[in-house]
Amino acid sequence: MSEHLDSPGRRYVVAALICAAITLLTAPLHERLAPTNIVMVYLLAVVFVAVRLGRGPAVMAAFSTVAGFDFFYVPPRFAFTVDDAQYLLTFAVMLIVALVIAHLAAGLEHQARMARRRAERVAALYEMSRDLSGAVNVEQMQGIAQRFAMSEFGARAALLVADGQGTVRLAVPAAVTVATDPDLARRCLDHARATGLGTPTSPAASVLYLPLTAATRTRGVLAVEPLDREGLAGLEQRRLLDTCASLLAICLERMHYVEVAQATQLEIESERLRSALLGAISHDLRTPLAALLGLSESLTRAKPPLQGSSGQTAHAIHDAARRMTSSITNLLDMARLQSGPVRLNRQWQPIEEIVGSAVAGARSWLESRCVRVSMPQGLPLVHVDAVLMERVLANLLDNAAKYTPAATAIEIVASADEDAVEVRIDDRGPGLPPGREDAIFRTFERGRAEDAAPGVGLGLALCRAVLRAHGGTIDGRQRPGGGARFTLRLPRGEPPQLDVPAAHAAGTPAAS
Amino acid sequence: MSPAPRILLVEDEAGIRRFVRLALEGEGLRVLEATDLRGGIRLTAAQPDLVVLDLGLPDGDGMALIRDLRTWSETPVIVLSARDAEAQKIVALDSGADDYLVKPFGTGELLARVRAQLRRHARDVEEPVVSFGDIRLDRSRRVVERNGAPVPLTPLEYRLLAFMSARADRVLTHRQLLTGVWGPAHDEDIAYLRVFVAGLRRKLESDPAQPRHLLTEIGVGYRFVA
Repeated sequence: MSEHLDSPGRRYVVAALICAAITLLTAPLHERLAPTNIVMVYLLAVVFVAVRLGRGPAVMAAFSTVAGFDFFYVPPRFAFTVDDAQYLLTFAVMLIVALVIAHLAAGLEHQARMARRRAERVAALYEMSRDLSGAVNVEQMQGIAQRFAMSEFGARAALLVADGQGTVRLAVPAAVTVATDPDLARRCLDHARATGLGTPTSPAASVLYLPLTAATRTRGVLAVEPLDREGLAGLEQRRLLDTCASLLAICLERMHYVEVAQATQLEIESERLRSALLGAISHDLRTPLAALLGLSESLTRAKPPLQGSSGQTAHAIHDAARRMTSSITNLLDMARLQSGPVRLNRQWQPIEEIVGSAVAGARSWLESRCVRVSMPQGLPLVHVDAVLMERVLANLLDNAAKYTPAATAIEIVASADEDAVEVRIDDRGPGLPPGREDAIFRTFERGRAEDAAPGVGLGLALCRAVLRAHGGTIDGRQRPGGGARFTLRLPRGEPPQLDVPAAHAAGTPAAS
Repeated sequence: MSPAPRILLVEDEAGIRRFVRLALEGEGLRVLEATDLRGGIRLTAAQPDLVVLDLGLPDGDGMALIRDLRTWSETPVIVLSARDAEAQKIVALDSGADDYLVKPFGTGELLARVRAQLRRHARDVEEPVVSFGDIRLDRSRRVVERNGAPVPLTPLEYRLLAFMSARADRVLTHRQLLTGVWGPAHDEDIAYLRVFVAGLRRKLESDPAQPRHLLTEIGVGYRFVA
């Protein structure tokens, strides 16, 4: 009934009518009923009014029933004067009792109404969270937020999402009619605090901005524009809105991580595809080359040996096959390094191990060439992909073997300073072309094809790409006293603490 | 005179098969050929003295043959693999392969490996004393000497050397060395192993930067060559 009696004026009228009706009903009985019972009937009316119509009408009913009792039933009847003074006590008690009842009953009713309202809000929040848990895009979120704001606050809502560069934009511009202020929204995002309508920041604005803060960061802003400015004023309303905002924030965060997971999946897929492709190319190129290399070598080792020009041809084929193999290895490594994010197989290891292995691997074409390696003890471990680093050294040794006289020595010297471990490869050949010390590394960069020096370019370009992938550098200089000097620098980083026992480091006899 | 050793060659590429056969037969070895995994497994029944096995075969992974063979035979296995397939090599070696060759490989390299494996397999009794360079390792007395003078090794260095020398000419993966010398709980401490090998080289090799006996197999492990 109270639902239909929304306007306060009407409730007072109904209260007055009830009082009048009670008076009319009891009037004919006035001869038979004692005045005490009449008072009881009037109090009953006040209780009824208080429960159904609220505090104001109940207070009015309290007064009017006292007045009615006085006027119609207390002698002299139909006058407000009183013969017997003790009725004044009756009036006073009746009024007090009526007012207390009015107060209690109305309070109860109010609490019941609040409890009902709260239950409705919990239901609305529940419904919203259920909808959000099924939402898979921001369009759906915008719709859910809008529905909730309209049903709970009579307000329009707009969802703004952070774009990662510190600004926010409307999630679904087409679906939004809220006039948002970018500055206020931005401020809300930056400080992760509510701004706009009713807050210390721009209280006069027509829109309230709430930050959507999830576990990791603020992911957006909820703009709420109430149709009635008082619609969001209450503490209860703000609390509800905050809850709504945190539900939206969690949902945004969930979507973010779904996106991240999908992107990672995609990256893994493309990485797999790339390495499968490179693997297939590698296999298809290398297999016939391996046969060519082996068969040509068989010719050079044939028994009895091939005579004259046939023997020379066999050697030439074998040499060409070997060079081509090296080029293809460089080419495929380069393709792998340039085709996307490189996954290096980095491990902590002594640089001398890689140098030693590269020199041993190069022996077949260095033949009897003198290679002096100088590695001081106590060099720190380096964090590198050994296969690629060995390839770098192999290329430098290959170049040195190709371009310097066979009688000259190649020297490899390692050292360490505060930031880096350095490896120098020195030769006594003709040195680098003057003024092109840097250009020789760039022959295969885009737009520089005209510089290409046959044979060297790719190898050195690969060296630089490998060093860069490791966060290091490589450069070529003239060596003092003649020849070329290539210097590799690898950042030292923080090698793992190896638990080598002190007794061990000192060295004890094996017989134990 | 004992009959010439027989080599089982399992390889699907005709060109590679041809030159490997030429090279092996040039050395007076007999060659059995298989072009796929199934044929290869069938021919292991002929008890070859050595298997040269390509890992990428049309009808399956060569690894299956190694696992199969290792259930009943110690016949040496040399695998042929691609350069950038470290993980594959490691799995093959951990499954029981003895050595590997990276395609493309030269005849000289191939023959050296084949000879080393045949020699190793023919040694049925381990001699207590191993000599390499100017080092003499007497495993029965736990003594390492250079030109008669004792070389001080720590107990762990000695164990590492003894373990490797007992498996000379075989490629030992980091994991095999770590579990064999330090125990199964240490199979991840590769940097630790590297530091030990470096220390051992400084004590035993005449030029530790260009070792001749404790060789590095980049990305895979180590090999001891007497």
